[in-house]
Amino acid sequence: MGEVKKHDTPKVDQLKTGPWPSFVDDIYSYAEKHKNQACFDIMGQMELSYTNKETHWKHGGIVGVFGYGGGVIGRYSDQQEKFPAIWAFHTVRVHHTAGKWYHTSALKKLCDMWDSRGSGVVNFHGSTGDIILLGTVTDQLEPIFFDLTHQLHWDLGGSGSNLRSPACCMGKSRCEWALIDVQELDYELTMAFQDELHRPAFPYKFKFKFSGCPLDCVAAVARADMSFIGTWRDDIRIDQEAVRAYVRGELKPNAGAFSDRDWGPFDIKKEVIDLCPTKCMYWDENEQKLYINNSECNRCMHCIAVMPEALRPGQDTGIAILIGAKAPILEGAQLSTLIVPFMKVEPPYDELKDFIYKAWDYWMENGKNRERIGELIQRVGLNKFITEVMGLTPIPQHVRVPRDNPYIFWKEEEVEGGWTRDVAEFRKRHPA
Amino acid sequence: MNKEELKQKIIQIMEEKVKKGGKTKIYLKDLQREIPDANPREIKNAANELVREGKLEYFSTGSTVMFGLPGVGMGLEAGVEKPEE
Ligand code: SF4
Ligand code: SF4
Repeated sequence: MGEVKKHDTPKVDQLKTGPWPSFVDDIYSYAEKHKNQACFDIMGQMELSYTNKETHWKHGGIVGVFGYGGGVIGRYSDQQEKFPAIWAFHTVRVHHTAGKWYHTSALKKLCDMWDSRGSGVVNFHGSTGDIILLGTVTDQLEPIFFDLTHQLHWDLGGSGSNLRSPACCMGKSRCEWALIDVQELDYELTMAFQDELHRPAFPYKFKFKFSGCPLDCVAAVARADMSFIGTWRDDIRIDQEAVRAYVRGELKPNAGAFSDRDWGPFDIKKEVIDLCPTKCMYWDENEQKLYINNSECNRCMHCIAVMPEALRPGQDTGIAILIGAKAPILEGAQLSTLIVPFMKVEPPYDELKDFIYKAWDYWMENGKNRERIGELIQRVGLNKFITEVMGLTPIPQHVRVPRDNPYIFWKEEEVEGGWTRDVAEFRKRHPA
Repeated sequence: MNKEELKQKIIQIMEEKVKKGGKTKIYLKDLQREIPDANPREIKNAANELVREGKLEYFSTGSTVMFGLPGVGMGLEAGVEKPEE
């Protein structure tokens, strides 16, 4: 390998002085070890961007791998003379595993492949969830795709107007709170929607995320167009003796998670009852007994997380489906809205797939370019989406604020018995 | 409209746009607007099949994907085309 050209990067180097491990250190040590010009050039271009306060990357283009319309994002430097080694520096998205469990030998093979075919720089993981391989040239794309799929048995993730790589929490693999097998569900839907994942299908991106319980560790409610959250429909299981033990201070609230500071003695009223979002809990001081009105509980799991030894979710479990979270694009950032409070899910998940297709069909037909499904719902109205589009019966919990407009226009089919109106008869009585 | 007719129609739309000096890359939605009597899912399947046959190519910005005729308009080294509605 010839001599490498290092750049002077005083501004970028400042990032090494902070309290956290720095990617600058990582990239430089890799660059030195492998005499990797691309890595030196990334640092050089970054220094230039800090000086000019603008990016020198251009992204987009026709690069990709045969048969796939996603997973590769073209990236080029606009400073080709200064930084020739990163003239083309494409990103490859590799589909992560469900719950992000990897065997180290698989990761080693992936890294070896990337050392030889790319820049060696990786990002675990991008915001959608994929493993991001940062920086390669156009000629390497097909060989990378071949190695990934045929030798290592990985696949590319989604990008563009595709279904993006679905992501789930660790679920039953480690977490006792998992109410459904999210990894199974994630895998099933990923395999069912391969075409949507690899080829553009929609007006814009679409993300699925799965959380095993309402604590929602993957933050599906804030990040996914469609979230599937484990929930239950029977009653919260209460061990009254354990509740009393919390009240007496014998058990640590939140399993001791906040014990690094002295918060004073546990106060069930302040820390549980008053924080219940639906105000459906009652602690009877005389009886020393906890009551929950389960029909009002929205399954947020706050009380269960505070007193895990005393309270447990019910046993009749399924999923809640929420739709519409997104970052700002056409409209501002948005959290998801609850559409289906409970659905039983069992392989082969046909009911769920039908639900997804119904939402997609409507969005594909009516969504504008770059309009996420949440924005479409905002535009046409939640009422119409729930009833006419999805064919569901609205429930009071769908309504955030009751209407204050007194005018109601009924359609004939909405009124029992309907109505018939003889205009001629009407005019006889009201000639003007 | 069967799939072959749909594919022909898509190519025809793309060629006409280029001939008129219009956009060289278009979104799926634009194709749907031009072919209102076809189902959006069928249009998507036909357009993706045309890519597999080498008659269309993808142009991806990373966040969205457009379709274009191979070799026409911005290609490999191009930056991002400003999205048009
Ligand atoms: S979302 Fe719930 S089930 Fe999943 S890891 Fe978090 S606490 Fe466990
Ligand atoms: S789960 Fe949430 S809503 Fe239900 S009782 Fe507990 S705190 Fe209240």
